[in-house]
Amino acid sequence: MATGVDQAVGMSLVVFSLLLFTYYSVWVIILPFVDSDHVLHKYFLPREYSVILPGIAAVILLLCIGAFTAVIMWKNRKPKKVD
Amino acid sequence: MTKLVEWLFGVSVVVAAWALVSFDLLDLSLPQTYREVAWPMPLYLLVSFGCYSLATVGYRVATFNDCDEAAKELQGQIKEAKEDLRKKGLKM
Repeated sequence: MATGVDQAVGMSLVVFSLLLFTYYSVWVIILPFVDSDHVLHKYFLPREYSVILPGIAAVILLLCIGAFTAVIMWKNRKPKKVD
Repeated sequence: MTKLVEWLFGVSVVVAAWALVSFDLLDLSLPQTYREVAWPMPLYLLVSFGCYSLATVGYRVATFNDCDEAAKELQGQIKEAKEDLRKKGLKM
């Protein structure tokens, strides 16, 4: 078994993704079937955000990947040799 | 029929079913709640696939085995190789 930090990071990733999946599933699938005066609606944002927030997350992810690639390519540029 | 054509056919059937339900193209007058649930389905599948990937990566990071014997053996071989190269004149 992996030790220490590896296990902690791995398990926290698993727990985080389970929580995210459960919250998003309830938000998208279960909430429309629940009466609008039920107390459960208090814990969830309006349903428009269930489309907007993943969209923003995807944009941020693409920005991070692009920035990372740009930094790496900038660091690896070789100045042209003058013969 | 190639695999690509099969997959495209399957995907287009699913997309057609989704479009029918969420945009009411056949005027079936489904209850509003079913349309509300069906409409974000592609995004929901994408998010759940992302969660599944994250969970798989996390689980495999947590259960990755250390191999102590192989690590020791490798360190020994590194030492041997360094000695050998030092004798042959390579400066470390």
